[in-house]
Amino acid sequence: MSEQLTADVTIDSRGAGCPGPLMDLIGKVKTADSGTVFELQTSDRGSVTDVPEWVEKAGHELVETVEHDDYWSIYVQKS
Amino acid sequence: MNGYALVIATDEFEKITAASIIGSIAAASEIPVDVFVTMNGLRPFEHEVVETRDFATGPLGEAMLTSEETEIPLFTEQFRDAKEMGPMNLYACTMAMEMWGHELDDYVDIFDGELGVSGFLTKASDKQVIFV
Repeated sequence: MSEQLTADVTIDSRGAGCPGPLMDLIGKVKTADSGTVFELQTSDRGSVTDVPEWVEKAGHELVETVEHDDYWSIYVQKS
Repeated sequence: MNGYALVIATDEFEKITAASIIGSIAAASEIPVDVFVTMNGLRPFEHEVVETRDFATGPLGEAMLTSEETEIPLFTEQFRDAKEMGPMNLYACTMAMEMWGHELDDYVDIFDGELGVSGFLTKASDKQVIFV
């Protein structure tokens, strides 16, 4: 991911287990404008693979997944 | 196929939780989900059972209920959230409720009504049935 890219909306779902992070993301994406970039912060390892699956099926764009020390940032752009 | 019909006939906490997770993501993704709760599956939805957390759990269920590191919503909350986010309806089995001696008010307020088998089959006619 480009270092210049910043999220329009940050969703802090750290500490939540499946399917909390994905539900949080879906809820925000539904009400957002097209082109909005989200940063989903999650400490749930399963979300790292599950969220991209949903993003692809829903027709949005997975921008990048960034691994931090104890959580991941999954960047998603609404189509 | 136009969505899923989830039949919950078990009182096992882990199975109901799994059903709530799968159904929730489907509904939140705008996939229609009808949930039909029957037989022993109704007991975990009773007010008193939910309040006292008196569920039939295995080791994983115990861990999920007591985990301090990971927040996992109770299946009732999962269903409630899903109903707000997408096309999900929950129905209690009329026959099983009668056998339990209960009314719909005895269960947590997430049900859209009660159904008999014919009613469920009508709703499930265009859906993939998942039985737990």
